[in-house]
Order: sequence, then structure tokens, then C-alpha cells
Amino acid sequence: MNSAYTPSLIQLRQVVKRFKNSAGEFVALRGVNVDIPTSEFVAIVGKSGSGKSTLLNMITGIDHPTSGEVLVNGVNIYQMTESQRALWRGCNMGIVFQFFQLMPMLTLHENTMLPMDYCNVFSPAERPERAMELLKMVGLEQQAHKLPAAVSSGQQQTAAIARAMATDPPIIVADEPTGNLDSRSSDEIIELFNRLVEQGKTIILVTHDPSITKRTLRTLIISDGEIIDEAVAQALPLLSHAKMLKVTHLVKRMEISPGGMIIRKGQNVDNFFIIVRGQVEIVLESSKRPEVTLGQLGPGEFFGEIELIHGGDSIASVRAAPDAPVELVALPHKDFAEMLVGSPLTEEALSRIVQARLAQNRSADRRTGWW
Amino acid sequence: MNNVNSSSAGLANNPKLLIKLCQVVKVYKTAAGDFTALKGISADLYAGEFVGVIGRSGAGKTTLLNMITGADSITSGEVIVNPGNGSSTSIHALSENALAVWRGRNVGIIHQSFQLLPMLNLVENIMLPVDFSGHYRSRVSKERAIELLKLVELEDHAYKLPAYISGGQKQRVAIARSLANDPPIIVADEPTGSLDTLTAETIFEIFEKLIQEGRTIIMVTHDNNLGPRFTRRLLIIDGQIDSDSGFHIPTAQVQQ
Repeated sequence: MNSAYTPSLIQLRQVVKRFKNSAGEFVALRGVNVDIPTSEFVAIVGKSGSGKSTLLNMITGIDHPTSGEVLVNGVNIYQMTESQRALWRGCNMGIVFQFFQLMPMLTLHENTMLPMDYCNVFSPAERPERAMELLKMVGLEQQAHKLPAAVSSGQQQTAAIARAMATDPPIIVADEPTGNLDSRSSDEIIELFNRLVEQGKTIILVTHDPSITKRTLRTLIISDGEIIDEAVAQALPLLSHAKMLKVTHLVKRMEISPGGMIIRKGQNVDNFFIIVRGQVEIVLESSKRPEVTLGQLGPGEFFGEIELIHGGDSIASVRAAPDAPVELVALPHKDFAEMLVGSPLTEEALSRIVQARLAQNRSADRRTGWW
Repeated sequence: MNNVNSSSAGLANNPKLLIKLCQVVKVYKTAAGDFTALKGISADLYAGEFVGVIGRSGAGKTTLLNMITGADSITSGEVIVNPGNGSSTSIHALSENALAVWRGRNVGIIHQSFQLLPMLNLVENIMLPVDFSGHYRSRVSKERAIELLKLVELEDHAYKLPAYISGGQKQRVAIARSLANDPPIIVADEPTGSLDTLTAETIFEIFEKLIQEGRTIIMVTHDNNLGPRFTRRLLIIDGQIDSDSGFHIPTAQVQQ
């Protein structure tokens, strides 16, 4: 994997954040590890109080971790002094807020010039023109000389994005950027973010709006200060966040070398497997007949559920694809059964998939003369 | 703090007309057709008044505030500041630049959601360049910024980022910023809207202090219960003034 050699743009390592208040101590983040490569569009979702805004504040350096490291472009941002970090932030991060935070006495154009002025990037003579170009890019050139109060909320947020772009930062972070907008305005904002990602920007946004997470490349779910395993969340989307987190705690991690056998036909199956990285092949093999490949599964997909739900031995073999290793998480039989009891919706969804896969299996068997 | 023109002591006998709203009409053009947000508002606001513009969401309160600050253009009618003396200004007749200069010197603006820049500490937020004529010429000095933070009792937090202080404290910073140019008029749009009752009380205490200094505050709220806090109440319904409590300086001030 390339990612093993090229460090991600943003790396969080064992980030812990504790808040102390009069009521005692509150742990907002419990050892979070996250890697975000360049040009990703990542949504961070979670219930209110789950720690999502705190996580964002760790990345922007607006707040600081109790322990752990945050590396951006290989730089440990918490080894800087506050004022170094302020300057670093100005050049590397564009920040967009739920309530826009535009200066009320300045026009949209002047608001957009502000970060260039503050970070002293682009020459003073260039700044007005650049600000105007950015406003043009977001479709606000007609409104450029208006005050925030004279334009709509959607236009204010669009201007805030233009301002976030002012110093041409590689990273844009946004905390509930559509939280105060109607659905049409929020569509336009997400469309704008998509265009910026195409231009190579990395965008991280916190949201609780599911219609937005559908449109991002990647979703990180945070629950009670921990990140839910992304493969678990993808494979079992109908679980509550708390249950996803429980599964994340219960699974064993495995790595299988290319071509390695995971389940052999006819053997007992005692785990539910979810693919984290790589591909597996499902094959019918026998010493007497040529092998038949029934299909391939990739990240976020799973296997083993047929045998665990129906009982009995494996109806096919599953092995790692020949070209690359496979990373899996395995949920033991007992925990899988408990999970289904706790989530009827998940059981229903899995049962439907089992029926479909069994039907596919039978037709493949008939075609190849197995039965 | 510089002197503001009139002190409240003499107001009861000799009220000074500060803002004259004459048949203010605002029509928004939308895809669905014209929407009349203000249907001819007339009122005389006096120096030293604490004016509550009260009404439901959509009644036109914020639009009225935008007419008074000149943040948005007027469809018809007039807003005259300091009428009847040498500095009388019909603000919507000013050029865009002249209006910005006038606003910078005369009006402080406060919002419900504070509008502080989260990447700047409190002092920097107050020192942000203030627009006088479309250029960043005028910066508030650090001493002045600290003095203003003292006024709202936040000098101990001067170098913190907004993320480290409470909502009520953020609003106090926003008030301090609005005072940067020592404006005689403060407009506040639901300034206590995202604060709990107790915290809102601290904001009112500061406002009352500013009124004592002779400033004029115009505050928009949807909360009818806040009515008694104001010295003047304009109830706005459907783009019109439904009732106006009229000019009245409270007894406490008259006795000074």
C-alpha cells in the first residue's frame, strides 16, 4: 500500500481530550486515530456531544489535545507556540462556521480580503482583485459590495467559503456549514465543496445531516469520543452508533496474504468477517472439477453470515485475491448473534442478503453441474 | 471613553431627536414575486433611548434595523439621522462610500451569533480593521481594545481564542468590538437570543450602562417578555408598527 510510505496530509495519533468543569471531568476524545489523505472529502458525523466539533478543533489547532499528536503535512501542530500556530493556521486552513462569522461592518468583499490582510499573503495590491475573483468563483460578484446583513444566509455562508479560500489553503474545515441553511442553499454549498475537492483541496466537515454524508467521499462516525471502524459502519449501517462502537471494540483484526485461504468449503465458520481493505474471492473448489469463482467482495462488504445465521458448514471457500493482501475484522459467533438480537433491522437486512446470496449460489451450482 | 454628545440627565426636559423614520418601505424582489417587508414605517427615536423592536419572526424587525444602519437599500421613504441640525443626514441618500464612513463613525452592530473570528484572540477580534471608506486604514489600538475588554469585564481573557470562552462572554466581546469607534448608536439583532436568562441579564446590564453614558441602543427581539427592559417599545406586526410606547425617559434618570 502506498499509504504506508506516504504519510497522510492529516494524521491524528492517540488524541485524547479531557475537559474539566465544576461538575468534574469529561472525556471528549478517547484516543482517536485518523488518517486523511490529500484531496479527500470527509464528513465527520455523530450525535450531539459525541465529540465531533472537538475533533475538528484538534485538527484546526483552535483547541489543543490533552495528549496525543496531530500532524498536518508532517508538522506537529501542537509543538508550535500559539502565535506560530495562528500564522500556520491562516496559511493552511480555511475555516467555515455554522453561523458564518462574517464581520458585520465589512462588505463581503472586505470580509474576503481579511485573511490575506491578517496572514500577510498576496501583495496588498493583489488582494482586492483576488477577493473579487473568489467571490466570482462562488457566484457572488453582484453582492460583493453589500454588507452581510443585506444578503441571504446561504449567500453569507457562500461568502464565508470564499473567505476561507482567501489564503489558498490546502485544507478547508467546516463545522455544520449547512446547519443554518435551507436544503437548496445547502445543496449549493456541497456542490461548491465538490468543485474545490476536484481542484485538489482537502475538505473536512462536521455535520449531522445524512443527505450530506451521501455526497462526501468518506464518513467518519464518532460516538462517545471514539471513531467507529469505517468498515463496520459501512457493513452494518442500520446499527445505532453505540452498537457500532461496541462491534468496533469486539472485532479481531486480521491480515491475510495474497491468495491466502480464509474459509474452506465444508469447514465450520465461527466468525462474521468484514473486509477493511483489499478483495476476497468466493470460490467453489473440488479435487475432481475445475474451480468456479462465484464472486468478489471488497471493502465494507462481509461474509460468513450465511453459515452463522443458518448453521452448518461453509458452502463455499473464501480467499484473499491473488494480487494484494486483505485486511479483515472478525466478529465472533456469539457476539454476532447478540448483535442480531439487539438490532432487528440489521437481522432483517442480513437475512435478505443471505437469501439473495443463497439463490446466486444455487444457480451457479446448477450452471456448472455441481448438483 | 470619549464623550457622547448628550448625557441622559437633561433628556427628559430637552429630548434630542436622533433618528427620524419617514414612511420607510422595503420591497424584496424574489423569484416568487415582490415581497413587502416594511409597509411604511414612521417613528421618531430620541438620543438616550433603549428601543426594543419587538415582533415575531418574519415581521420585518431585522429589515427595519438594516434600514437604520443602511446595511440594505430602502425602496421608498427616508431615514434621517440628527434631523434639524447641521449634521442632519439622510443616510439612504449617501453614496456607498459615504454611507460606510457614516456607519463606521456612528453605528455599532451586534448579532445574535456574535460573529467573532474564531482564529483570532479577543484583542485581535476587537482590533480588526474597521471600514471607513473601503480601505483598512483605521486599526483600533491594542490599548483601546484592552480598555474595551475591561469595560465588559473580560480583560483577563484578552489573549484567549473565542473557543475558550462562554456564549455570554463572546457576546460581551462583540459588544466591546461594536464600541471600538465610540459610536453614539448601537444596534443589536437578538443579542440575547442564544443565551440563557441569567447570561442575558449580564448583557442587559452592560446595555443599561451604555444608555447611562448617553448612547442610544436599538435592539430587535422576538421575546415579548423583554418588553419592560426597554425605555421604548415598537411592536412590529406584518411590516407595520402595531404599537409604539412613545418617548419616555424613566424616573430614575429624570431624578439625576
